[in-house]
Amino acid sequence: MTVLSCSGLRRRFDDVVAVDDVSFTIAEGETYGLLGPNGAGKTTTISMITGVLERDAGEVFVDGIAMSTHAIAAKRLVGYVPQELALYPDLTGRENLRFFANLYGAGRERVDHVLDVVGLTERAGDLAREYSGGMKRRLNVAIGLLHEPRLLVLDEPTAGVDPQSRNQIIENVRELAAQGMAILYTTHYMEEAERLCDRVGVIDSGHLIAEGTRRELVERLGERDRISLLLDGDLGHATAVLGAIANVRGVAPHGQGLELVVDDARECLPAVLAAISTNGVVVRSVEVTEPNLETVFLHLTGKALRE
Amino acid sequence: MKVLSIGWINVHRALRDRTGLFFLVALPLMLVFVIGAAFGGATTPVVGVVGDAGALSAEPAVQVRNFPDESALRTAVEHGEISAGLVRTNGDTPRLLVRADRTGQQLRMLVTTSLTREANRIAAGEFVSAHTGLDRTTALSVVDSVRVAPVEVRVSTAGRVLFPEGYSGFDLGASNQLIVFTFLNALTTAAYLVETRRLGVTRRMLATPTSARVIVAGEALGRVAIALLQGLIVLVGSALLFGVRWGDPFGAAALLCAFALVSGGAGLLLGAVCRTQQQTTGAGILLGLSLAAFGGCMVPLEFFSPVLRKVAFATPHGWANDGFSTLTRRGGDLFTVAPHLAVLVGFAAVLFSLGAWTLRRAVTR
Repeated sequence: MTVLSCSGLRRRFDDVVAVDDVSFTIAEGETYGLLGPNGAGKTTTISMITGVLERDAGEVFVDGIAMSTHAIAAKRLVGYVPQELALYPDLTGRENLRFFANLYGAGRERVDHVLDVVGLTERAGDLAREYSGGMKRRLNVAIGLLHEPRLLVLDEPTAGVDPQSRNQIIENVRELAAQGMAILYTTHYMEEAERLCDRVGVIDSGHLIAEGTRRELVERLGERDRISLLLDGDLGHATAVLGAIANVRGVAPHGQGLELVVDDARECLPAVLAAISTNGVVVRSVEVTEPNLETVFLHLTGKALRE
Repeated sequence: MKVLSIGWINVHRALRDRTGLFFLVALPLMLVFVIGAAFGGATTPVVGVVGDAGALSAEPAVQVRNFPDESALRTAVEHGEISAGLVRTNGDTPRLLVRADRTGQQLRMLVTTSLTREANRIAAGEFVSAHTGLDRTTALSVVDSVRVAPVEVRVSTAGRVLFPEGYSGFDLGASNQLIVFTFLNALTTAAYLVETRRLGVTRRMLATPTSARVIVAGEALGRVAIALLQGLIVLVGSALLFGVRWGDPFGAAALLCAFALVSGGAGLLLGAVCRTQQQTTGAGILLGLSLAAFGGCMVPLEFFSPVLRKVAFATPHGWANDGFSTLTRRGGDLFTVAPHLAVLVGFAAVLFSLGAWTLRRAVTR
């Protein structure tokens, strides 16, 4: 079941078109990663989806409710975790949560629940400004969970946090998705996107330029897994033997060894090693390279994700 | 409910800020005290005396303090510790040192009258002793036993008095400080609104099922609540601590509410326009003190030139100031200050409209 459906989103700031004709959907329990370099239009897209920013064109439906005509009803279904630490530093964690619980119409028992979820129960009475960076991030996430939203929008929720807090946030997101929550996630950390996201949309200069699962994107770009072998023995013979293995698309000399282009390195590797060893060639080292989202991203945008 | 929640969070944050609390509670009341003491409070004036105080000791309107010598007495008068000093050494003509202030001149009259009365008593005693053969002490007892009905003098005031009888420096200082600090703190605490916007909390509120109108109304309520709280602290605090009289309570309450609305509106506008907290605080102090000066909160409006008076009534401070003067110095009531209330509500309406429009624009664009 589709929880978020946005189509033809467009927003202009003076002469700059920040987002142009962006459309995608997110299903129940699905985690969708929106990736793009700085200034690509991620936050503008998210702001339109959460109803914070007015759209010049396009429509957002949350559980079938239009943001344009029934904004209040639609916002009840959306939890928003902005990139900045949008909380009062001079209030305690609990006071911050109670304030937003009032705005969301959530009960006080939800405050205790989300404190428990993000692991802040023991520090709930401390001022937010006394929290570590990671704790502030967790509180930031907790506010978005107060009203048990159908769609959770997280804009770089782990930026600048310690590994412990990052792991906690990622685990929280996984659990929420497993419970059926639809999640829209932006991040600068590619490994996070690969760990978390079922599908990814790549946005650049305001346009959604590619969308799909990691493997779909990799295959669409013609990228394949590579196996690099450092060998002792007859390399010419090895080339011929390895080229005959199914799923091996190409063999080329590579330093003191060979590089193989294969369909699926993990599936192919046992056959490759077996073929080599039975032909008197000694394998001194093996290196497997799988094209990742970083490769895809670089290919699509010409930039690294952190640029 | 959400409006109240947003409004309350503003007050809550203002009360949690210890530095802010000093400016909200302690400083205005300290200034009421300082100004009241400097410009004549309701305390009994002190006369320093070298030698025998005589009949002055029995005067209820003064307090006598003895000094060892004239030098110490003169220093005390010159330093303003006391407003007058009397030197009465044996056989010499009494000499009075007075400061050139209002209390000094009052004491001059009082001491002269007291000394004259004392001289008259002694002269009457001498007369009785000379004509009856009684010794001097008995003769003075006879004089003291004579009761003369006081002469009835009907007093009527001609012209318009600037300050009515019994109007103290505390009364003057309190209404001025109420106006100054209500407006000033509403402007400087608008820094909270700027911080709320800067941190992204306002935008986050907009992502909740809360309309922009409710958020703006809540922020406006917060500004007004802080202004009203400030005004109440000065009004109630000065009445309880220094016995300040505010005149007709309904008129005073209505003026306070109207001026709190003006201050809240100005705070909302400033908080919507400024981009940083430093900008807000700087502009708030500059605007707050300038308008207070032009509005007659530093010097009474009656001392202003005709042109400056016109300027004063172009500010909400001028109207609030004149309104409180009407209540406390001219015996006015709610109906007498109705024009003041109408103008202040007009100011508030304009400021709120501008502030709400600017803030809404700032958070939704």
